[in-house]
Amino acid sequence: MAKKALLTASILAATMTAGAVQAATLDDVKSRGTLTCGVSTGLAGFSQKDENGKWSGLDVDMCRAVAAAVLGDSEAVQYKPLTAKERFTALASGEIDMLSRNTTWTHTRDTSLGINFAGTNYYDGASFMVMKDLGVSSATQLDGANACIQAGTSTELAIADYFRENGMSYKAVTFDTSDQTRQGFESGRCDFLTSDGSQLAALRIGLANPGNAVILPEVISKEPLGPVVRQGDDQWFNIVKWSLNAMIEAEEQKVTSANASDMKANGNPANKRLLGSEGELGGNLGLSADWAYNIITQVGNYSESFERNVGMDSPLKLARGINASWRDGGILYAPAMR
Amino acid sequence: MKEFQPIAARPAPIKTVGFTAWLRDNLFSTIPNAVVTLSVIALLAYYLPLIFDWAFWSANFTGTTEDACVKEGACWVFINAWSYQFFYGTYPVEEVWRINLTLVLLVMVIAASFTLPKSIRLKASITSWLLLPVVGIAILDGRLLGLEVVSTDLWGGFTLNVFMAAASIIVAFPFSFLWALGRRSEMPFIRSVSVIFIEFFRGVPVLSLFFMGSVMLPLFFAEGTNVDKLIRVWLVLIFFMSGYMAEVFRGGFQAVPSGQYEAADSIGLSYWQKILLIILPQVIKVSMPNILATFVMLFKNTTFLLIIGIPEVVQTLQTALSNSYWLGGHALEGYLFVFLVFWGSCFSMSVLARRIERQMNTDKRD
Repeated sequence: MAKKALLTASILAATMTAGAVQAATLDDVKSRGTLTCGVSTGLAGFSQKDENGKWSGLDVDMCRAVAAAVLGDSEAVQYKPLTAKERFTALASGEIDMLSRNTTWTHTRDTSLGINFAGTNYYDGASFMVMKDLGVSSATQLDGANACIQAGTSTELAIADYFRENGMSYKAVTFDTSDQTRQGFESGRCDFLTSDGSQLAALRIGLANPGNAVILPEVISKEPLGPVVRQGDDQWFNIVKWSLNAMIEAEEQKVTSANASDMKANGNPANKRLLGSEGELGGNLGLSADWAYNIITQVGNYSESFERNVGMDSPLKLARGINASWRDGGILYAPAMR
Repeated sequence: MKEFQPIAARPAPIKTVGFTAWLRDNLFSTIPNAVVTLSVIALLAYYLPLIFDWAFWSANFTGTTEDACVKEGACWVFINAWSYQFFYGTYPVEEVWRINLTLVLLVMVIAASFTLPKSIRLKASITSWLLLPVVGIAILDGRLLGLEVVSTDLWGGFTLNVFMAAASIIVAFPFSFLWALGRRSEMPFIRSVSVIFIEFFRGVPVLSLFFMGSVMLPLFFAEGTNVDKLIRVWLVLIFFMSGYMAEVFRGGFQAVPSGQYEAADSIGLSYWQKILLIILPQVIKVSMPNILATFVMLFKNTTFLLIIGIPEVVQTLQTALSNSYWLGGHALEGYLFVFLVFWGSCFSMSVLARRIERQMNTDKRD
């Protein structure tokens, strides 16, 4: 027992020292010339590799944005594919400079792991998919139905809470992998399939006939996903946070990769502040004045990144939903850029 | 005088030769056998056309994107489009000759170690085996040879499985020999250290060792030192392998008759002369089948690296399956491909192993 406690203590101590020191990530990145960014080993639309080994996705664009802001080159990124178990150790040990791997922002993680969430780049949540011929248009009509669930996911918990809250019952049919879950749903083992909304879209494409299935409007849990940095390096935290905010702000100001050069010279004062032809925004972050200009010309604003990776220009065809800008009825809102 | 003319041999009775006799003897000898035969034929007749139809006749072979998969059957376009990734990972295309060169070197060293003339074979093959990992890493990484540096996070695919397995077993080989000697030693300290090492690495599942290497180990390094993930895993594989091989060698040491040890002592050989000149050659000969079996096991174990996100071939397959442009459910084709590649390599290894065994079998020919 005592030995176990000692071991735990030494691991904790190692974690903390690893988390506490390691200041000046910015200098490290600049002297190395590349940003090392932890991504998922493969998640459709968020971080995925293509046949030529090129990374793309909404989470990958976050890495590219930071690289563009810091180094002026969105391609200067070394991607480290990480499993869910490794991600926080990799960040704590300094193996990666930032983590952008569909990580849910929770109180426990934010306060006990020595990490900081730099914002939310996608608001996800558990949702339902049903076959069209079931004739269901709302989750409240699912009383007594069979549910296809992937074992061991947080969705399992969310759906139990939701059904209890609404006085309904369901019968769970659990599967081991998402592929099996989809096959179970397709073969009629259950009436509806539940998973995170972004996952449902990917699962739906895998069906033999995607047109037969619909995703219900209810979202029953909060899964805000965002980039993560180590605690104890506030300058780096600010850089990642404001790189994300710059993409969101650019969409609000209708600055796109196509018109950014024009806006930099001829835009209104807010455009000019964002793009660096006026003001001190870059300098305050320890970056060059054209940090946000580099992000927007090389990666695009949030809307461009969203549509390209998960939205209407991608196979996933996710609607903006709550991930729309606050001006369009969503909840994406960048603090004031001034 | 009539010369003796033997009657020409008569053919065996029709019931005992030919196809029908073979059928009767092997497939329909008893009623239960006949039932089993017929039901197996019925099952094959039902399923084989379905399988062949899926895999060949209505399969899609040409194209580069998922849209090319219009027919009902297998989408081999998926394998074709991702084949570079499956074999070489993200290694730059213009540098891929370095991987091929290393593979050729590996094959050459294997071939050399049992085709060279006997007089130089032992020395030449041991030297080339020990040099191979160093040369291979130098070629793949490029730093030492002044080539363009290809960092380890770009290595991947099936060739990574091959290199990880080969590099671990080559380095583990001498170590495991020492551990086995240590375990047989009469010095208590050396013996207990060897026993603890061997039993630890044999008693712990390789999956948990990988987790230790990837998740725990970095926390204990000094601040700012980042040992490459692939090197950490390589160390784990070496330790794991040398634990197993030590036991294989120990079995070999025990199989050598004690008369051999005593004979060596009686002509005044030193300890190392005795071990290296008399005992070791016999140990290797006896242990060869087990050494190769352990190697096949380790080679297959390298696919476990996927659980810590190393882009070996199964991990690459899963990455490919989650690409949003390839979501149409190609898992079956993918895993079938991995199955064939591994089965092909493991089967050729066991053919090679049998050949080596025959060649080394100098005293007990049957």
